[in-house]
Amino acid sequence: MLKATIEADIFRETIDAVSALVNECRLHVDEKGIRTITVDTSNVAMVSLELSASAFLTFAAEPCEIGLDIEKIRSMMSMIGKTDIVSLELDDSGKKLKISFGGYEYSITLLDTKTIRKDPNAPNLNLPATFEVPGAMFYDAIKASGMVSDKISLAVSADTCVFTMNAEGDSDRIKRELAGDDVHYITCADARSLFSLDYLKDMGKSIGRAEKVQIRLGTDHPVQFSFVYAGGKGSVGYLLAPRIEAD
Amino acid sequence: MPSQCAVCKGKGLCGLPSCPITRRFHALKDTRPVSEYMGASPSVFVGSYGYPRVVGGPLMINDTDNPLDWVRQGFSIDDIVSVRSRTIRGGSDLDVKIPNIGKVQEIALSAKPLDVEVAFEKPVSFDINFDGTVTPVGMSGAMKKLDVIDNASVSRIVDRCTSDTDLKATEAARIMFENGTDVYKITNLLTAGLLGVKRRVVPTRWAITATDDMISTSIKREVIKMPALPEYQVFCGTLYGNTLCFILIPSNDWRFEMLERWQKHSLWSGDEETIVVDGEKGLSKPKYSPIAGAYYSARLAVLEYLKSIGRCARVLCIRDISGEYWAPLGTWVIREAAHESLSHHPDRVGTLGEAVTSASQKLGTSFWIPKMGLLKDIRQQKTLFEF
Repeated sequence: MLKATIEADIFRETIDAVSALVNECRLHVDEKGIRTITVDTSNVAMVSLELSASAFLTFAAEPCEIGLDIEKIRSMMSMIGKTDIVSLELDDSGKKLKISFGGYEYSITLLDTKTIRKDPNAPNLNLPATFEVPGAMFYDAIKASGMVSDKISLAVSADTCVFTMNAEGDSDRIKRELAGDDVHYITCADARSLFSLDYLKDMGKSIGRAEKVQIRLGTDHPVQFSFVYAGGKGSVGYLLAPRIEAD
Repeated sequence: MPSQCAVCKGKGLCGLPSCPITRRFHALKDTRPVSEYMGASPSVFVGSYGYPRVVGGPLMINDTDNPLDWVRQGFSIDDIVSVRSRTIRGGSDLDVKIPNIGKVQEIALSAKPLDVEVAFEKPVSFDINFDGTVTPVGMSGAMKKLDVIDNASVSRIVDRCTSDTDLKATEAARIMFENGTDVYKITNLLTAGLLGVKRRVVPTRWAITATDDMISTSIKREVIKMPALPEYQVFCGTLYGNTLCFILIPSNDWRFEMLERWQKHSLWSGDEETIVVDGEKGLSKPKYSPIAGAYYSARLAVLEYLKSIGRCARVLCIRDISGEYWAPLGTWVIREAAHESLSHHPDRVGTLGEAVTSASQKLGTSFWIPKMGLLKDIRQQKTLFEF
């Protein structure tokens, strides 16, 4: 059972964060809130999201699983006004979700949760460098890098504690260094990995809205991004596997 | 020679009044002009020039005009050009929005060629035109009168799909294809304005690619939900100087990348070879492919194969064209070359490296390896479960 109302903005950010990587997901609902964890079809990127019951205006739920077609909801989102209140209600059979906003009532058929791949286990990673940067600053660097290349290296130097983003294309190069007040280190250590910009651009839109994003980085290891939204009541984690330039 | 030739394939992107390459084949042959025709009409043709006011009508030849038959009977390029040289294209002015072109529709509907009687306004003479997508036609002329003598024999599934005006063209194409109607028939029905809710006459050139795209998109929807292929498979085959090689890579993540190479001195290239690469991921392909109709035909063939074995994979497709392919015969060549290639026993190997080596051996060249972005991607991109 699920019956809840939520501000349009928070609803939109929730959907955007997940739709960056997948078209469908399994949503776990209980009295504490909602959560999901899923990987994209190529097993390269993972998203985990939690939104606590307190982020909703009203929230009543009993534990259940919902198979969401994120694409369907995303295509409907342009209809939702900025200040609308979105109300969500699961029908008794658990097969349809009613989404109402601004006079509209939208009923979407849910996916059978058996057809959605099972929740992945997050890999155990040892990522030595942990630091925080402003989300918008990070996303800007990603957008700029996308103009010259399809991959980017993220690196931290233990000596200087400078965070460097470096994108090299066939002929051009873009480098962005963050240091001083722009980076807040929790642990500063040597780390350098290369990532596909395709994925980072998709994740970047959500990261860009966060005031601060925590980055955990290793050498030739996945990178982890985590940030909060909805006034700290929601949290998103992304994990992205690296590219290895072997040849 | 402009470098865009391999992408344009005679559409006229260079701005010249007529394509310098297809003009090479603008041969003239001594056939006596005919002012009337009595015989079979196996299909219909609609030109794209002047859209939405186009010219279209029946194709007339007392011979098969289905490429499947040509391949089955082992026709050479010369044989095909000769069949097509004898083909007459009857034309009358059509407005695409008024798809009620009765007699022409009967021809498109019929499962076997219908006998027609046609009188031309002026005697038609030989004037062949080639183009990359559509099959060439030898003679064309405006029709004064068209009579269909036979009654169309319509297969049940075609009848059902064409008489239902609430059935979208995409759905109709899928249903007919699944029930064994070949793409050539479906293209004909689409061209004649017999499919869909808002019916339109569709220029044949566009209908060919539209049919391939409609069907492959619906197969793609099924394939992406299938389990991953258990091993790497490499296919290779050649038809009319077109070598098509497919590398199927185990994955749940459908991707397709195609590379097309026009070898030095082959049809659309000059003194330099021309290479065009294009690809896609996910369900939709945002832009029309620069490889043109060939892309959609090859993609359909490999999706058919994946569906038949119930597996999902990432696919690399290499089309290598030699000078032997001297006349552009239309997109069907790629479709049949792909079928030919996929009908062989594949090389089944366990690693990407072996698959690439096997493909290089079959193709006799490895120029394509550094050109394929998807291959580089697969080699470099790690997955989360490797940690």
